[in-house]
Amino acid sequence: MFSKALVVAVACLATLTLNAGSSERSVVQILTFSQAPIFDAPWRSESVRRAGGSGFVIKGRRIMTNAHVIAWAKQILVRRYQDPRPYQARVAYVGHDCDLAILEVEDPAFFDGIEPLDFGELPTVRSTVVTCGYPAGGEQISFTRGVVSRIEVQNYVHPGNRSLLAVQTDAAINPGNSGGPVLQEDKVVGVAFQGVPGLENAGFFIPPEVIHHFLNDVNDGKYDGFPQAGISLVPLQNPAYRRYLGLADEGVGARVDGLRAGSTAEKLLKKDDVLLEAGGLPVGSDGTVLYQDNRVSSSIIFQAPQSGESVKLKVWRDKQSVEIDLPVAFFEGDKLAGNQHDTPPRYFLHGGLVFTPLSADYLRTLGRERADASSSALYYELYYRRGEQPEKVRPEPVALATILAHPVNANLRVRGRALVDKINGVRIDRLEDVPRALEQNPSGPHVIEFFGQSGFECLDREASAAATAQILQTYGISSDRRL
Amino acid sequence: MNVLHRLLLSLAAGLACMVSVEAAESRSWESSLVTLEVTLKEYDFFQPWTTPTRSIRKHGLVIGDREVLTTAQNLPTETLVRLQKGGRGKWYKAQVVWLDPHADLALVTSEDPTFWEGLKPAELAEVVPSVPDFNLVRWRDGNLESRRVEFSKFTVKDGTLSFAPRLTLEVNTELTGLGWAEPVALEGKVAGLTTSKLGSTCNVVPAPFIRRILEARRAGKYRGLGYFDFTWQPGENPTSLKFLKLDGTERGAIVIKVPQRPGVQSVLRPRDILLEVDGFPIDVEGDYVDPDYGHLLLENLSSRSKFAGETVPLKIWRDGAELTVNYTLPEAKYHDELVPREVFEHPPEYVVAGGLVFQQLEQPFLRGWGEDWRRRAPFRLQHYQNDQPTPERPSLVMLSSVLPDPANVGYQDVRLLIVDQINDRKVGTLEDVVAALKEPKDGVHRVQFMKGDTLQTILMDAASLEAATQRVLQRYSLPADKRLGPVATGKS
Repeated sequence: MFSKALVVAVACLATLTLNAGSSERSVVQILTFSQAPIFDAPWRSESVRRAGGSGFVIKGRRIMTNAHVIAWAKQILVRRYQDPRPYQARVAYVGHDCDLAILEVEDPAFFDGIEPLDFGELPTVRSTVVTCGYPAGGEQISFTRGVVSRIEVQNYVHPGNRSLLAVQTDAAINPGNSGGPVLQEDKVVGVAFQGVPGLENAGFFIPPEVIHHFLNDVNDGKYDGFPQAGISLVPLQNPAYRRYLGLADEGVGARVDGLRAGSTAEKLLKKDDVLLEAGGLPVGSDGTVLYQDNRVSSSIIFQAPQSGESVKLKVWRDKQSVEIDLPVAFFEGDKLAGNQHDTPPRYFLHGGLVFTPLSADYLRTLGRERADASSSALYYELYYRRGEQPEKVRPEPVALATILAHPVNANLRVRGRALVDKINGVRIDRLEDVPRALEQNPSGPHVIEFFGQSGFECLDREASAAATAQILQTYGISSDRRL
Repeated sequence: MNVLHRLLLSLAAGLACMVSVEAAESRSWESSLVTLEVTLKEYDFFQPWTTPTRSIRKHGLVIGDREVLTTAQNLPTETLVRLQKGGRGKWYKAQVVWLDPHADLALVTSEDPTFWEGLKPAELAEVVPSVPDFNLVRWRDGNLESRRVEFSKFTVKDGTLSFAPRLTLEVNTELTGLGWAEPVALEGKVAGLTTSKLGSTCNVVPAPFIRRILEARRAGKYRGLGYFDFTWQPGENPTSLKFLKLDGTERGAIVIKVPQRPGVQSVLRPRDILLEVDGFPIDVEGDYVDPDYGHLLLENLSSRSKFAGETVPLKIWRDGAELTVNYTLPEAKYHDELVPREVFEHPPEYVVAGGLVFQQLEQPFLRGWGEDWRRRAPFRLQHYQNDQPTPERPSLVMLSSVLPDPANVGYQDVRLLIVDQINDRKVGTLEDVVAALKEPKDGVHRVQFMKGDTLQTILMDAASLEAATQRVLQRYSLPADKRLGPVATGKS
């Protein structure tokens, strides 16, 4: 199965030295029938898409796989090793930020005779690993041996705006292996999840650290997600800057350059604080820590606790060392700037005007046209406003996604792709404000104001209300809203 | 002589007459159409200290006493202009006597009297009718080429070098290599000069527009091209017009944005309806009916009969009543925009300090990303083009790149960040950078960038900055640590 732009797979090995006698029976094939929504026509969905992925049985009679394997799934079928029967499965837990999911199978007999796989430790660089799964190119299980090339924090393509620890291997890449286990001495040391187009012999798997974090997270019956510190940590390698802060040039300490508005870090830390240690590990002047012999971004230290827990920090402030317990939590504020999953897009339709929350998925429907003033305003609002003008951030900016043609709206010049500022004088902070603002107007036309160069438009109050039902019927839309 | 003979003879005579008219017309263009060779500086805004040059050839028309008319393109940074007549032979040294990039017009002359021998002025048409065809004339390999081009439409669009809209004649042709001031002619008169070509559409600056500017210039009354600085939307939505309490028939365009200019109190307000501009009624599409060219965008009324500094009467609808206000046309100046579209008055400015390269954010820099720059240039830098300058920040200064040096270790990858402050002093111009760098605090220079998710602060050692700058100049073969033009305010 393909992740958005990246591909995961494993190629067959003719001569396989791994004793996979028991492991292969724990590896399952997953067939997903999914239907993603159309974000600029949010009541509609794309055609049903069939895709294959892989998974493996873990303790508790459950299957682990990638979140992107089962995203937007309408039906999930799983197949055992060399067993032709498909079994119905359902999602028990999904962590889209770490691209992991746990499935349950409706028929408990599915697990008969299958031993769950155990997890191992983070493999060392240059050690050999074997990935298994059901990549395209055949129906049977496939194995690929590779070397651990490097271990780093990488962008996880499935969420789009999250970076976690990942392991790179030189395994060949074919579609369909996503969610399959990466084994070392019969223990799972990773879950294959993505590759990079154009980069040869580079596949990536999710390491045990991330897998265990996900499993521990769901222990309480719900998934919270990986925490974020809200700290912009930058290298501190300029000699003058180090001298100014009273630090010797010993390669230790990275500088706090910015703090996310409203975060706990903003209250406990200051700009120009220097992070000397995080979670007991020295922080290098390039912002990395030495974790199990791998130089990786210190962000992994802030992602290690569960949401709501704390990280112990040693900070250099005013030429003195201070210790701080920094609580970290999952951050939801940039959710719309990442890829959306499983929850159909919200919308509200009135008089043919379709309002929907501004999201990265909606912006993708605009193609590459970001240069004109209206589109530019949308991009700025989603990706830059929070960092530059946090005081003006709207919890859920609303876009006029499109207009369904009808005589009541035929004279409107704006036909979509516009960011809504106010309706009837009411500031639109979230989608629910749209119906509220329309309902609050006792008389006269509805006045809709936009950002950028889009000006404003008026809509006849009575006529637009009357037209909505007809528009729903004409365009085959079952409801005027999904809030 | 029978009827057939008479008919054949008259046909032959007619053909001969046509041939001789065309030949005469061609001969007349031979004596007024000249070639310009322009050597110009084409700056590399990514390395503003370099000054590459190139040469181009374009056309010019003798239009008066020792005056050659051409478009302004490629002339603002010229280092050498030469003229050639007859499409071949000797080149004559020439001088630009006047140019206006906003109008995209220039006048060139030569002090060599022999150049003018045998040349005679072409005539600019007073009005250009909407006819099916025009002739496009150009020198090609030493021969005069006259080719038919099809009339497409009269329209109003921004100039090739300007944000100020003006009347434009569009003609269609499959001819390639156009846009170099080739004259488009009708019945022996100049209908306009080509300015650019995209696909099969060739843009032509029409003769009446040229005539009016040249006549005003001769009379000493040309004060630059004016433009409407407000933004409007069509009044096509009757519900919006009703909301604005407009009486009578649906008409007019709705003002939606009025820029705040220092020292200027605008006569317009958002949600005014423009009913008439300069005496012409405005329809709901924002068009007026031009007596010569039919339906045109109201923007044309900023240059149809007025220039910068003149007033245009506007009949508007405000708060349920009709009102007439006098709008004074601002002069089109590049520095009216926060990110200037062009900077011609001086070479690209820069300041290099300890390897940090500071430049003003200008559109030519963004265009350095190539033809597809609107998609490829960094989004955040491009988005500043939607903002207006303020007295505190008339322009933007960016740290465009870092020339690696021991003094800037740790910052080598820093680039394309807009500077907010240096040493706690707001920075809007490169002069501010120079002034701020004279006032380090606590032994360091603190450069702060605009608030955002990108890098916010860097520090440089003050005591060793100058030595580092000198090292960088030598290592990277830079001619100087700075190049500054006139102060930003008052730039044109």
